[in-house]
Amino acid sequence: MAGSSRLLGIAALCLGALVARLFSGTIGGNHLLLAIALGFLLANTVGVPSRLEPGIATHKLWLGAGIVLMGASISVGAIREAGGFVLLAIGLVVVTTVVLVEALSRYVFGLTDRLGSLLAAGSGICGVSAVVAVAGAIRAREEYVAYAAATVLLFDALTIVVYPLVGDLLGLSGQVFGIWAGLSMFSTGPVVAVGFAHSEVAGQWATITKLARNALIGVVVLAYASYYAREQTSATGEDGRETLFGSLRSTLGTLWAEFPKFVLGFLALAALSTLGVFSAGQQASIENAYNWLFLLAFVGLGTEIRIRQLRRTGLTPAIVVLLALLVVSSLSLLLVSVALPTPAVGP
Amino acid sequence: MNEESRLASLAEVRSRWSALERDWQSVVVGVTVVALVSLLDVHIPWAWSW
Repeated sequence: MAGSSRLLGIAALCLGALVARLFSGTIGGNHLLLAIALGFLLANTVGVPSRLEPGIATHKLWLGAGIVLMGASISVGAIREAGGFVLLAIGLVVVTTVVLVEALSRYVFGLTDRLGSLLAAGSGICGVSAVVAVAGAIRAREEYVAYAAATVLLFDALTIVVYPLVGDLLGLSGQVFGIWAGLSMFSTGPVVAVGFAHSEVAGQWATITKLARNALIGVVVLAYASYYAREQTSATGEDGRETLFGSLRSTLGTLWAEFPKFVLGFLALAALSTLGVFSAGQQASIENAYNWLFLLAFVGLGTEIRIRQLRRTGLTPAIVVLLALLVVSSLSLLLVSVALPTPAVGP
Repeated sequence: MNEESRLASLAEVRSRWSALERDWQSVVVGVTVVALVSLLDVHIPWAWSW
């Protein structure tokens, strides 16, 4: 029964993907943004029928699979060329975002420390996934998780609309736009969507940058877990000593548990592609396959944007995240534009 | 293979699949597509003609 309702939902995603593809070919418009719009319309007008929900919830699986396949179109040489700068920029952006959101939450707007930390993780690393991962590590209250997740979803919805407009207005090259989106937007789905909506080059850079940023989730979860554990230990006066081996094992365990595994599939395909394993025809088929998988994923992503849910976002958390986003987004755009001023080739 | 053993093996595949976490499932789907394309030469089109 569960299997058949999952199949129904997946069939609905396929139908949405076909309609988006068909409409973009006939009336124009970007197929990825059309797919998101279709999902959004369904969820906010008639609503998603409950029997379709299990299948539609598989959209993150298709996004992950699409990203794995995208590895086959990536040249390791191009990544090596811009990789050092991208990694440095990711480090700067993540630290700046987390510190800024924490400072604004605690010292300017007086939010509770755990809510501030959830907002910081969601804005700094990978959206709702980071909120959920950090919430588990710091034992945050359910209502804080809901607030932080709703705030992140609100900004996912806003940036899907605003980033492509700014990119076109400023005439950004694919590489600059992609790295900028990957550095400063929140969740992986919207980053991939606006990247590929801009251009193939932008989509590839946006995904690579976002994947590298997502890989830091384990480090951030560990940092927050040890910060709140120490706070708890000093408050209760407990002895928090642990053997060095035990501590190292639990650290490595957390890093592995939080690491997004599809990044390994992506890297394996990038390595095979660089070794020239795939013919041009096979590479084209793999590229088409990931474009279809992204379409499925984005119909599902659109259904996640629920206006009623976004209304629940508290005003103060939204202001905190808006201020941080404005600062970090402007600074990262400036950084990327200065460091990579020439139109560059795709990865 | 009789009906009963076919259903049992299907149930086994299903339970193994659901035990995999979503990230690994993404890798399995990706590897399946690559295997279809590179080993069986399956062609996946993007545009179609009527």
